[in-house]
Amino acid sequence: MRRFGRTVSVITAVLLAGTLLSSCGGTTSADGKVHIEFFQNKPEAKDSFDKLVAKFNAENPNIEVTQVNPPDAETVLLTRVVKNDEPDIVGMGATDTFSILSQSGIFEDLTGQPLLDRVNPAYVKQITDVTGMADITGVPYATNANGIMYNKEIFRKLNLQVPKTWDELIQTAQAVKAAGIIPFYFTYKDDWQTNLSFNALGPNIVGNDFFKARRAGETTFKEHFREVAEKMLALLDYGHSDNFGKTYADGNRSFARGEAAMYIQGTWAIPELRKTNPDLELGFFPFPTGNDPNKVNLISGVDTLLAITQSSKHKEEAAKFVEFLLQPENIGQYIDEQTAFAAVEGVNQDDPAVAELKPYFEQSRFVDFADHFIPAAVQLNSITQSFLQNHNIDWFLNTLDTEWDKVANRRQTQ
Amino acid sequence: MARRRAAFYWMTIPAVVLFFLFHTFPALQGVYYSFTNWNGFGDHYDFIGFKNYYYLFQDSNVWNAYGFTFKFAVVATIFINLISLLIALGLNASIKARNFFRAVYFLPNILSVLIVGYIFNYLFSNVFPIWGAHLGSDTLAGNILGNEKFAWLGVSFVAVWQGIAFNTILYLSGLQTIPTDIYEASNLDGASKWQEFWKITFPMIAPFFTINMVLAMKNSLMVFDLIVALTNGGPGRATQSISHLIYTGGFEGGEFAYQSANSVIYFIVIALISIIQIRFLQRRETDM
Repeated sequence: MRRFGRTVSVITAVLLAGTLLSSCGGTTSADGKVHIEFFQNKPEAKDSFDKLVAKFNAENPNIEVTQVNPPDAETVLLTRVVKNDEPDIVGMGATDTFSILSQSGIFEDLTGQPLLDRVNPAYVKQITDVTGMADITGVPYATNANGIMYNKEIFRKLNLQVPKTWDELIQTAQAVKAAGIIPFYFTYKDDWQTNLSFNALGPNIVGNDFFKARRAGETTFKEHFREVAEKMLALLDYGHSDNFGKTYADGNRSFARGEAAMYIQGTWAIPELRKTNPDLELGFFPFPTGNDPNKVNLISGVDTLLAITQSSKHKEEAAKFVEFLLQPENIGQYIDEQTAFAAVEGVNQDDPAVAELKPYFEQSRFVDFADHFIPAAVQLNSITQSFLQNHNIDWFLNTLDTEWDKVANRRQTQ
Repeated sequence: MARRRAAFYWMTIPAVVLFFLFHTFPALQGVYYSFTNWNGFGDHYDFIGFKNYYYLFQDSNVWNAYGFTFKFAVVATIFINLISLLIALGLNASIKARNFFRAVYFLPNILSVLIVGYIFNYLFSNVFPIWGAHLGSDTLAGNILGNEKFAWLGVSFVAVWQGIAFNTILYLSGLQTIPTDIYEASNLDGASKWQEFWKITFPMIAPFFTINMVLAMKNSLMVFDLIVALTNGGPGRATQSISHLIYTGGFEGGEFAYQSANSVIYFIVIALISIIQIRFLQRRETDM
């Protein structure tokens, strides 16, 4: 009996040691290769990156890159950072999460690195604007645009022109509605979809400098965002019968089948739409936020940036992979497949669906998404979703202000 | 004899070690961090005492999450127990294809909560509205999960649907512990079915009633995956449960220490409720 007891404890000890060791995650390997983990947060881009990773691994027999792309990747990334188990390379958007991670010193400072040489400085500036740091902690890779998609067939049938101003947009919506077709397909069951109009209207009507002043406590949403809120509400009249019941996936399916004339969305949805209907005649125009067409800017932000973690044991090899992804041929393949835009200069997006956006990129008439500047703890998305249901502008602006202050207070004690 | 006992002690140690390592220790760490301002990563944090707790009580989102969770938990607990007791009574009677029905009713318990959630999410958005439109109701013709006022009913419905399976099995095993001769005796005395239930069946399964009430309440208070799959806390914050708030605020919002404080309070609340429930319901048991 006694021997049995001892055996049990020995087995347990071995098992325990095993779990502890494996959770430390060493990168040494038997095959003599350097193993690099590339973690990225776009499920849509998984296949594209798989192809590029395979190509890189074939060209570099000493390095083995593995792509990791879990669902809800940003949260997974944060939990892994909490456990001190960071991947070598992170691909993510220039969001508040990125900003928090950068400020906590998770990412390597890339200032002055040759990796940044060919990148459009406007996007590098977006990254430092979001983090509020002098260090450049990520290489902008692919960028996206937020605006309004339209079904060219329906527009042709109803004899409609692409609207250039806010008033024209409303007139267009009215004409579509009068013809018995759904003007906008709203997908407000998913709360992140409700901020698309906020993201388009805010930066053009108020400007993103507002957020700097808001951080400093010099201004409030109440003072500046009334027009934004009014216009967000005005659009609701032109939805379908169940605006809050449909998800992003429902919307992609329905819009691709031609059930609505317009779809307030980002370029990221184009590959999804084409999966449902490859023959969809798709157009894309910037959100006309005001009545002076010359003052309308495109909303475009860094959809994917590449950051190398401080804790990576193989920074040189990681940089080599980033360099590989940035080569015009490879980034060209990526943006073609993703209908994205390249942050690298001289690589163009020639997809006819987004042809109308080209002049805006050429003249650098673009501004970043508003929500990139709003702390995630404020939970803009759920506030906006509530507002679009309760239609109470004062409540909306007050809540934004109070939530912002609460989060700022809690962060200040740090 | 002493030797044998020693072996038993050795057998308990691995469990204690594992439990402490993976459960107690992280929990204590959480308590520790709730007095700091750590955001979950990075090296720097300070002690800020009870500030997190102070902010918690002023945070309307926390109150809102508690409000939803309790409303949901009470409704779900009542309906789960009521319906599963009824089903268990039916399944315990001598009906045809009894085992087949038992298997059918147990099925929801085998499916993962997330899968059930995603399936119902699809049904709520694409199938139920069509039925609702046929019934001529404006509310039912839309996705109920997208409606700020009624979304919690949709979530409760799915929770009850799935929760019934497990509790039915527990009630069923309780019913099988009742000796049949008691019923024979009551039959001779001319007791009605109704009297039989209240005077014999229900008192005899009192311990099972207690454990079912406590388990259903605890599970409902801790609801998380169902919320993620069905509404993600929305619309707005209408269906945000406490654990969902802790998770989203702590990890997505980068307020790890703040939400640690929230989970410490949450732990105390759930423990208190369970203790009160057991005390109250067990006193009832002994009265019988």
